[in-house]
Amino acid sequence: MTEEEIIASGLLELYVTGSLSQEEILEVEKAMAQYPSVKKEVAQIEASLIQLSEATAGNVSPKVWERIVQFTQGVRPLTTGRKRNWSSVTGWAAALLFFAGLAFMLKQNSDLKDKLRTVSTKNIVLQEQTSITEAELTETKELLEVVRSKDFNAISLPGNVAVAPTAYATVYYNKDENIAYIDAKGLPKPPEGKVYQVWSLIMDPLTPRSIGLLEGGFEATDTAFFKVENIPFPEAFGITLEPEGGSESPTLSQLYTLGMVAP
Amino acid sequence: MDQPDALILEMQNGNHAAFSKIYEMYSKAIYGVVISFVRDESLAEEVLQDVFIKVWNNSNSYTPTKGRFYTWLLNIARNTAIDMTRSKAFKNSAKNLTTENFVDIIAGHDNLSAKTDAIGLKKYLAALKPTCIQIIELLYFKGYTQAETAKTLETPLGTIKTRARNCIGDLRKMLLNK
Repeated sequence: MTEEEIIASGLLELYVTGSLSQEEILEVEKAMAQYPSVKKEVAQIEASLIQLSEATAGNVSPKVWERIVQFTQGVRPLTTGRKRNWSSVTGWAAALLFFAGLAFMLKQNSDLKDKLRTVSTKNIVLQEQTSITEAELTETKELLEVVRSKDFNAISLPGNVAVAPTAYATVYYNKDENIAYIDAKGLPKPPEGKVYQVWSLIMDPLTPRSIGLLEGGFEATDTAFFKVENIPFPEAFGITLEPEGGSESPTLSQLYTLGMVAP
Repeated sequence: MDQPDALILEMQNGNHAAFSKIYEMYSKAIYGVVISFVRDESLAEEVLQDVFIKVWNNSNSYTPTKGRFYTWLLNIARNTAIDMTRSKAFKNSAKNLTTENFVDIIAGHDNLSAKTDAIGLKKYLAALKPTCIQIIELLYFKGYTQAETAKTLETPLGTIKTRARNCIGDLRKMLLNK
């Protein structure tokens, strides 16, 4: 077909409307490549049909393009290279930073709580020590009062040379109230299963009466100061080592100290 | 009018601005074809939207050596519109159809943009032969093949090309003269 024949055939119109067979399409395209007039004719047919359907369209809502943008912006055509979506990347980075920061804060918070707990515990311990020290101070002050008081007589109980030559004790005796404090600091720590027992005595005839056991208080830091009351025969004081729980009568072989109350 | 091959290539390379220009150039014409298919504005908008999303996503399936870009667009639009006509929404809206072809649709537009100058066009379209309106409707707006068109119009297959040539020729004269 010559170029005029092709133009007159109606092939070009059906080419534009997409109504041709594959064979005819190839024929038209060959002619288009060969003859500029054919190509021009195709463009003109197309332009007229575009104009016709534009008239058919009326007005297109701008919302359609807005929606298309929503679906296509940031979405690349299938076979082209992907570009990094920086807003997404920074978004994720910010989220990661946020969580890392949050984890750090939580860790710090828990560390501080631990420290606070330790400090509180230490504080409790210190408070306890303070109250112990205060109690000890009160006790010491009391003892000092006793020792200084004119109401108390100090009776020295030297060690029994046969049993404990280096041992000694002091009894502070209040005649009016019939009480006594025994300072046993000079006695050795009693062996396991043994206990010191304090006796008051009448010398003639020798009659001992138990006035109490010195239990505990022999550790290095202890005062080893004991209070005894209701003393029946305040003529003399003796201290013996007895089996745990004390004895009915003193074991004289284990008499550590003995002292007389001055008349 | 030569088709904008450079712009098409840029769009194929992922240039959204080029895609935007292509939408500006062809969306109205495509919408005209779509609306003559589905006869409902909101459905036609939905189809138009889908057509151009497909164009963007599949732009690389178009090769300039294999036909016109506009014909490629037409095929996407027709296929998308046909899919829509199978939908429930279309079947519901189709009950209220009053228009028959593109001439009726154009006649239905009250306020057309100056670009299309539809008042003049309406006058000339009224002078277009009914057989021409039919053949343009079927080949162009409906995307019928020659055989389908011949069968629908009850004419010999060989006359379709000649008739299309003459009718589109008449249309071109009208558009030039208006």
